Amino acid sequence: MDLSEGRFAYEGLDRVIHERARLSVLTCLITNPKGLTFGDLKQLCALTDGNLSRHLSVLEKGEMVEIEKGHDHNRPQTICRITASGRARYLEYLSTLEQVVRDAAKGTKLDRSLTPLKA
Amino acid sequence: MNELNKALGDISSIRRQVAHSTEFRGYGPATLVATGCIAVLAGAIQARWLPDAVNGISTYLTIWISTAVLSAALICVQMVTRTQRIHSGMADEMIRMAVEQFLPAAGAGGLMTFVLVRFVPSAFWMIPGLLQVIFSLGVFSSCRFLPRPMVIAGVWYLATGLACISLGDSRALSPWAMAIPYGVGQALVAGILLMSRQASRDGGSDEG
Repeated sequence: MDLSEGRFAYEGLDRVIHERARLSVLTCLITNPKGLTFGDLKQLCALTDGNLSRHLSVLEKGEMVEIEKGHDHNRPQTICRITASGRARYLEYLSTLEQVVRDAAKGTKLDRSLTPLKA
Repeated sequence: MNELNKALGDISSIRRQVAHSTEFRGYGPATLVATGCIAVLAGAIQARWLPDAVNGISTYLTIWISTAVLSAALICVQMVTRTQRIHSGMADEMIRMAVEQFLPAAGAGGLMTFVLVRFVPSAFWMIPGLLQVIFSLGVFSSCRFLPRPMVIAGVWYLATGLACISLGDSRALSPWAMAIPYGVGQALVAGILLMSRQASRDGGSDEG
């Protein structure tokens, strides 16, 4: 077993991303790089207006998304897009998450092999 | 254990989805220009040592197959290193996609050459034109995750391929019938990649 210091620190699990609603917002935006309207994002992530606004402002503060306010057919429209740094941080988060699951899977395998067989 | 494997599968599927919506930046403009130069050099070699390609089919094939293999090797090596640097988190997925897009055209080109040489040697003169047409199909199918103007390069290869076939005889085996289309075409591809990268830098666009 690797006993190096910080082996299980998972520094890449960014606290800003590591929240269910924000994770779903970012996943939605990273797979739609041209951006999504506030309404579409709300529907796709099953969030309320207030909740989505709150999470978007956290992500915007962290420079992970950009919000563009404009008009479409004389109606106000808000477009949300993931930024370059948001994309990079999300991918790093994903890699760390994958490592967490791999470590857990390895642990489960080891645990099974060490469990004595019942007579 | 099943849940953990499912979670790993879900992460891979997110990564795949992200890769599908990401512009591929693994092709390096300098390397592409170099492959164009190799094509021009091969044309010069053919012009110098094989003035009559009709009576030197094996030499003709040796020159151009070596050129293709050398260029493909250069592009592959650079694609792998560049993709790992630029698309670090999803390099494998991006490389797999790039290969998947172009491999059918490369395979078809190789097999078509083999069949014509083996079974229809009288139609050998069509090889340069057909190779360019097939190459254009590879470019078109790669356009989906390359900058949009890349379609111009596809049109270029299609046009030069058709022009080559329209010559209708062994004139199509002229060294410049391969050297000019690939020399100019690869420079065009490199130029399009450079311009689009410049445009996305100016617009602060993303990198995977």
